[in-house]
Amino acid sequence: MKRENRSNRLLRWYPPTWRSHYGAGLLALLDDTYGAKSVPWRERWSIATKGVAERAREAGITGTTVNANGRLLAGSQLVLCGWSLFIVAGAIFAKFTEHWNDSVSSVHRTFPGVSDAVVRTAGIVGVLLVLAAAAFVLPSLVRLARRESWQSVRRPLKKNALALSISIALTTSVALRAHFLNYHQRNGGSPGYVVIVLLAGFAVLATLATMTTTALSLTRQIDFSRRLLRNLSFAALTLSVLMLSIAVGSGIWWISEARFAPKFLENSIGSGILFTSNTLPPALLLMAVLMFIGLAMALVGATRIASGFSDHGPHRVATSSPH
Amino acid sequence: MTRKAAISNDFARPNEPTVLILTSLASGAKHGYVLTKDIEDFAGVVLGPGTLYGALTRLEERGLIAPVPSDDRRQPYEITASGRAALADAVHAMQSLANEGAARLRLRDMANPLLLTPNTPRLAQ
Repeated sequence: MKRENRSNRLLRWYPPTWRSHYGAGLLALLDDTYGAKSVPWRERWSIATKGVAERAREAGITGTTVNANGRLLAGSQLVLCGWSLFIVAGAIFAKFTEHWNDSVSSVHRTFPGVSDAVVRTAGIVGVLLVLAAAAFVLPSLVRLARRESWQSVRRPLKKNALALSISIALTTSVALRAHFLNYHQRNGGSPGYVVIVLLAGFAVLATLATMTTTALSLTRQIDFSRRLLRNLSFAALTLSVLMLSIAVGSGIWWISEARFAPKFLENSIGSGILFTSNTLPPALLLMAVLMFIGLAMALVGATRIASGFSDHGPHRVATSSPH
Repeated sequence: MTRKAAISNDFARPNEPTVLILTSLASGAKHGYVLTKDIEDFAGVVLGPGTLYGALTRLEERGLIAPVPSDDRRQPYEITASGRAALADAVHAMQSLANEGAARLRLRDMANPLLLTPNTPRLAQ
C-alpha cells in the first residue's frame, strides 16, 4: 500500500489527462522495474521533470500540440505569472526605496530619481493594464459562470474573497498599529508588530498566489473570442515591456545608490548574511531574483505569443473572429 | 515540414528513445517493462520509466504507435503502418550515414557496412 502511494505521488507531477491515459502503464512499469525497492532519486527527478514538461506542453507553453489561439492564451498566462512575481519584487523595491531622496545630494539625484520614477510609473501602468484586461475578460467569465450555473466559479471566487479579506484585515491592522509606534518600534523594536507584519506579508503573498492560480484556471475554461484573445496578447506583450522597464529602472537605481549613497544600502534587513555586502543587500538580491525569474517567464510567454501570431498573423486572427 | 525533414530532426540519432522504441516494436507488441529490457538487450541503452513514457506519448500522438487493448495494468503498444514507414526512413538515413562514414574511413566491407563492428576493424590498407 505504501509503495502504491509513493508511486501515485510520483504520478502527480503529470497533468490529470496524461495520468488517466498513461498513468496505470507507468505505475505498472515502476512496479515491474523496482518491485519492493524504492524508486531511485535519479529516476524520481527524471519523472518529476518529465511530468512538469508534460504539464507545460499540455498548457500550450511548449510544443506544437496546441493551436495558434492556445499559444496566445498560454503565452499571456505565462506573462501574467511573471507579473505576479514582479508585484512582490515591486513591493520590496517600494519599501526599500522609501526616503531615498534624503540619502543622495541634489547633484547626484538625476539617475536614481529618473529610474525610481520609471519603476513607479511602469508599475502603476502595469497594474492598470492587468485590471483593464480583467475587466475585458469579465463578460466572458460571467457567460461561463451562467452556462455552468456558477458551479465552476463559486468555489475559486469564495477562496479569493476569503484570502483578500484576511489580507485587508491584516494590512489594516498593521497600518493602524504603526500609527501608534515610533520609528524604532516600527523597525524591529516591537515583537508583536513584527509578527503582524510577517502575517500580513504572508497573507498578501498567499492572496496573490490564489488570485493568479484562479485567473489561470478560469481563463483556461473560458471560450475566448479571437478578437479578445488578440487584445489580451497585445496587453501581455505591453506588460512584458513594462516589466523590462521596471527591471532596468530598479537596476539603475541600485547602481546609482551604490555609487553615490552606499550608506543608504547598508543596515538593511538581513545585512551580513552570506554573499551579501553593503551594496548587495539581501532584500534587493531577493528582488533581483524575482525579477529575473519573472522576466524569463515573460520572455517565454512573449515568444509563445509571437509564435501564435506568426501562425495566424494578428490581423487574420482579428478578421476571422466569429463575433 | 516534410516527413523526411521531421525524421531528420527527431530520428537522426540511433540512440534516440523514439527510434529505439520503434525498433523494438517492429518485432511485435510489447508493454513498458518488456520494451525497456528488449532495448537494453539490443542497444545496451537503459531507458528510465519517465523517458520511456515521454517517448511513448510523443509516438502515440504522432500516430506512429498505438495501444493494444488489454485487461492488464501493463499497457502493450504496437507499431502502426506510419511508424513502420518512419522507422524505415530513419534506418535508410542512418544507413546512408554509415555508408558515408565507411567510405571515408576506407573500410573494406563496403557491400554491407552496417555489419561492421568495432571489434572487427577491416581497413582497406
